[in-house]
Amino acid sequence: MPLKSYDKKIDHDLEIPLQDDYFYDEPEEIIENNNMPQLESTAKIVVERAKRGEKRAIQSDVLIIGAGISGMQAALDVADKGYKVVIIDKTSTIGGAMVKLDKTFPTNDCSICTAAPKMVELSRHPNINLITYAEVNSLEGKPGDFKVNIWRKSKYVDPDKCTGCDDCAEVCPVEVVNPFDEKLSTRKAIYIEFPQAVPIVYTIDYDACVGCGSCDRVCEPEAISFLEKSEEIEVNVGSVIVATGFEVFEPTEMRKEYGYSKYENVITALQFERLLSSFGPTEGKVFRLSDRKKPKSIGWIQCVGSRSEQLGFPYCSRVCCMYATKEASITKEANPEMDITIYYMDIRAYGKDFQQYYDHAKDLGVKYVRGRPSSVYENLDKSLTIRYKDTLTGKIEENKVDMLVLSTAIIPNQGNKKLGEILGINVDDNGFFKQSSLLTDPIQSSRDGIFLAGCIQGPKDIPDSVSMASGAAAKAIAPIKDREKHTGKEFPPEKDVLHEKPRIGVFICHCGKNISNYLDVDKVTEETKKLPNVDYAEHMMFACSEDSCKKIKESVQVKGLNRIIVAACSPRTHGGLFQDTLMEAGLNKYLFEMANIRNHCSWVHSNNWAEATDKAIRLVRASVAKARHLESLSEEEFSIYPRTLILGGGISGMKAALALANMGIKSIIIEKEPELGGRLRNLHSMFPTDTKTEDILKPMINEATRNKLITVMTNAELDELEGYIGNYKGKIKQKGKKKDIEFGTIIVATGFREINLKGKYQYGKNKNIISQTELETQLKKNTLRAPKNVVIINCAGAMDEERPYCCRVGCGVSIKNAKLISQKYPKTKTYLLYRDMRVFGKDEEEYYADVLKNSHLTTIRYPGDKKPEIILDKNNPIDGSVTVKVYDDILHEELEFPADLVVLTVNTEGEVMTNKLKNMLKVPVDAAGFFIETHAKIKPLDFSTSGVYMCGAAHYPKNLVDSIAQAEGAASRASIPIFQERMKGEGIVSEVNNEICRGCGICISACAYSAIDLQPHPRDSSRLVAEVNKALCKGCGSCAAACLNSAIEQKGYKNKQINEMIAALLEEKVAI
Amino acid sequence: MKENTKEIVDVNSLNLKKGDLVKEVEELCGENLYGCYQCGTCSAGCPFVDDMDLSPDEILRYVILDRKEVLNSKTIWLCAACYTCAERCPRDINITKIMEALRQIILRKKIDKTNIRKIAKEEMETIPQLAFVCLFRKNVG
Repeated sequence: MPLKSYDKKIDHDLEIPLQDDYFYDEPEEIIENNNMPQLESTAKIVVERAKRGEKRAIQSDVLIIGAGISGMQAALDVADKGYKVVIIDKTSTIGGAMVKLDKTFPTNDCSICTAAPKMVELSRHPNINLITYAEVNSLEGKPGDFKVNIWRKSKYVDPDKCTGCDDCAEVCPVEVVNPFDEKLSTRKAIYIEFPQAVPIVYTIDYDACVGCGSCDRVCEPEAISFLEKSEEIEVNVGSVIVATGFEVFEPTEMRKEYGYSKYENVITALQFERLLSSFGPTEGKVFRLSDRKKPKSIGWIQCVGSRSEQLGFPYCSRVCCMYATKEASITKEANPEMDITIYYMDIRAYGKDFQQYYDHAKDLGVKYVRGRPSSVYENLDKSLTIRYKDTLTGKIEENKVDMLVLSTAIIPNQGNKKLGEILGINVDDNGFFKQSSLLTDPIQSSRDGIFLAGCIQGPKDIPDSVSMASGAAAKAIAPIKDREKHTGKEFPPEKDVLHEKPRIGVFICHCGKNISNYLDVDKVTEETKKLPNVDYAEHMMFACSEDSCKKIKESVQVKGLNRIIVAACSPRTHGGLFQDTLMEAGLNKYLFEMANIRNHCSWVHSNNWAEATDKAIRLVRASVAKARHLESLSEEEFSIYPRTLILGGGISGMKAALALANMGIKSIIIEKEPELGGRLRNLHSMFPTDTKTEDILKPMINEATRNKLITVMTNAELDELEGYIGNYKGKIKQKGKKKDIEFGTIIVATGFREINLKGKYQYGKNKNIISQTELETQLKKNTLRAPKNVVIINCAGAMDEERPYCCRVGCGVSIKNAKLISQKYPKTKTYLLYRDMRVFGKDEEEYYADVLKNSHLTTIRYPGDKKPEIILDKNNPIDGSVTVKVYDDILHEELEFPADLVVLTVNTEGEVMTNKLKNMLKVPVDAAGFFIETHAKIKPLDFSTSGVYMCGAAHYPKNLVDSIAQAEGAASRASIPIFQERMKGEGIVSEVNNEICRGCGICISACAYSAIDLQPHPRDSSRLVAEVNKALCKGCGSCAAACLNSAIEQKGYKNKQINEMIAALLEEKVAI
Repeated sequence: MKENTKEIVDVNSLNLKKGDLVKEVEELCGENLYGCYQCGTCSAGCPFVDDMDLSPDEILRYVILDRKEVLNSKTIWLCAACYTCAERCPRDINITKIMEALRQIILRKKIDKTNIRKIAKEEMETIPQLAFVCLFRKNVG
């Protein structure tokens, strides 16, 4: 927000300019101002209802508790299917923990930029009822009929009136420590959490407010209502999704040897994240808290509170290695001279592109030291000395850093136990919520009808949380699937304006004082009235208020306006609101244009009245110039064939089909093998619960084959495919025959396979050298003869030059198999050679610690550049025992072990048919043969091509839990078009001029959504021209920019429209 | 094994079979050595680590790898039993107890290399009483 200048205002009695005394805020002027909206206050209604002792009751379908990224994703997934959602959050905004982060790994995408569109979409969704500052009081009932009481705390600010102008916070005299900035800054007693908060409604912190009334006096829309009471709301729903997230460990008592809260320059990673954030307390500048100077060196200590059996939490927090790498590499990139060190035990770069991200950080010069510091001391200059043992050199060392960041553990919410009691669901020993079955039903809580999403059942990164949230949305539909669906508002028929001359109406907003204090709104209105085609122009206090919208609607109907311009704030937050107003008035919503004279003008030019006014006039003039050429656009409507095709009949494919069936949707599973079950059929058991694969597979195959909504085709393969979302036609090849089928959406669940080692590690030369899969098959068939010495080698063919990625599951599998061997043959000695022990997450880490202790497993760490060697016996190379030579990274010695069984944990890659599918589905695949999702963080299950989704190991190797969560999530995504029955494409799409198109095809490669094809020209079939599929086009404009012949134009942003705008902006200055 | 470790005990005379060392230690101290993550916290916090030939984490490693020469290490005698390692170990392994167990393996064979008479008079006068008490207690178990 800009600093406000009050020199434009004069005190009426003393006739001197007003400085900053708000008590003289010209009450007369406010009273005289006829534009002040007189709104019906919801606060008043609440007060009166409370007096009568009544409760508000909401009839809805699904309740979601917690509006972080998981809660938001679940809410959107349910609401998009046509069901009503109530979503509550205990803070005054939505967004959760993700919005606190600066960037997200491994893509370095801005966190708020990816979360904010979801927040706005959620707040504007007709099926979503958002209640912030609220908590659950009680819950009773059964699936399909829950009665939940919600306690909504009063914000003491009327949400319908508050415009988010920040005037109140400026005058508030109370400073409170700001929990949003992790206690690094202060906020006022009346506050919004962060500038992009949704809803943008200020909240009075009841505990901190001194009741001085300053905010009330300056609030122009009179939104402050001290009388508003907190209320209990009854919500009737069919199912509940819990997504209340996590807390972060504070190392004040436990792990106090690192000096947090004792030494000023020791901070937590989340605090560092706030320092990096552009809307954090330092606006993105990293400095020491003690002297506000830029540090010359920073250290990170990993696993503070996690992986700790005493004084802490036994599990791995799963994200710290990567966020520390992210924070370190962002800092290093910006300050190459800075000395940056990360102290770690194992770097868990387990996910898609994580290992490459970690390698990149090392290339940037981030130092990684393997060793867990023992203590930290503060020096006189407030720098810190870290004492540690570099376990890879064996030296005890001390390092001085200017600033120390602690990667603290993710811990369960303190309130989990209480919430668990209210909801009747169980928490585990750590305090996370328990799943009904960890391996096969990770989303189901211990009570029917209540589902879990995100970090509440263990630490998780954003994509895993988002997948799980989608999965929870799919499961939450089952109890309510037969209820009536809501497709949103009905609007009156559209007026045809094609042959009318443009009659433009311009509405200029004061935004309280936000615009009118820095530029001359009257003058802008006056100048606008002079422009050709402008039939009507006026200025209003708040264009977004309900009565203003009513006024806009009336002027369309009474004055016959056919193009509307609102000159106010950003179309990102308010465009949709005004477009709805147009539709209510019977105008096509694309006959609307917005001029941003607040964010782009009054805020940035707050100290130059004349220039700001001139710029505002130009901005409005440019919008008018474009509006003259605005056209009604139609959104392509298409029907959806209500069936999903699932490629792959492994666990993921079957789980996706079952999740769809539970929602009442038909699916076809296509499996290339003669039986369902995928890779699991060859495996013995699954970590971390040691459940036998038969016990997982048999009931699931039974369920899938018996379900009437699921058609299973084995020995089958997709041979041909045509069509687009909603209208696919495919040919399935089965036993030499071809069968035609129709379907609306596609889920890719083709899984993964072990790579071909091509003779590395002597694989294939000696029958005692086998892969993990072969070992499991032998264990399953009971054909393994008792070995004396077993050596397991991890990362075979992984994290090297050819395949730079980590296989994510190998460490877990190797530990489980070591345990199996030791259980079966207690006398066998097992050695596990590893590079980093990547047993990330809650249960895996605890499983690892247990196996180490109970099976007496000896682990040996080897460096990536010195791979273990296997030497065959010269006399008996084919079936004799072998010798394994390994360099022990911690002892710094070459060790030799005789082994009569060597098990290789082989890296993985995408399945065989990936390449064929890639071309057929028009979707991207990475170098390792895994499919590439739309967005690594917030859209992990969707392809950029609409209608195609993915789950399981086809996306990246994954353990069972993550695969199942993804499968259920993909089912949720794939069912959305089917639930909607008919879908609408974008209005703003690309259009090809057939006459100029030369059919070069450049646009096809520019299109990220596979929406363009070359087709024969409709009249001259001898030449090919580009054709845009309006159902798939997202209106990004890439093709229009790429076209060499200007044959493609983007509707709503045509060349003529843009050129006229530019010309209008550059016209002569208006005398002010 | 580092160079300055002189042979104090003939490890073969201890009658430890292959793989027995770790069993013996675990039995004596009740700790599970295999839980160690080799993070080095114990060594970094040890006040005597600069004088040790093997750092505390290396001691654990040697025992796990069945290297009996660990019994000849100075480290186990230098350990002052201050429990800093045990206090800070994230895996909750009481390393102090492991040191004691290793000392016990030797002492229970009645091997005692401390010769009180050979302690110089000057040393007798300058070394604090408490240090002698500790030393003798270590030696007699």
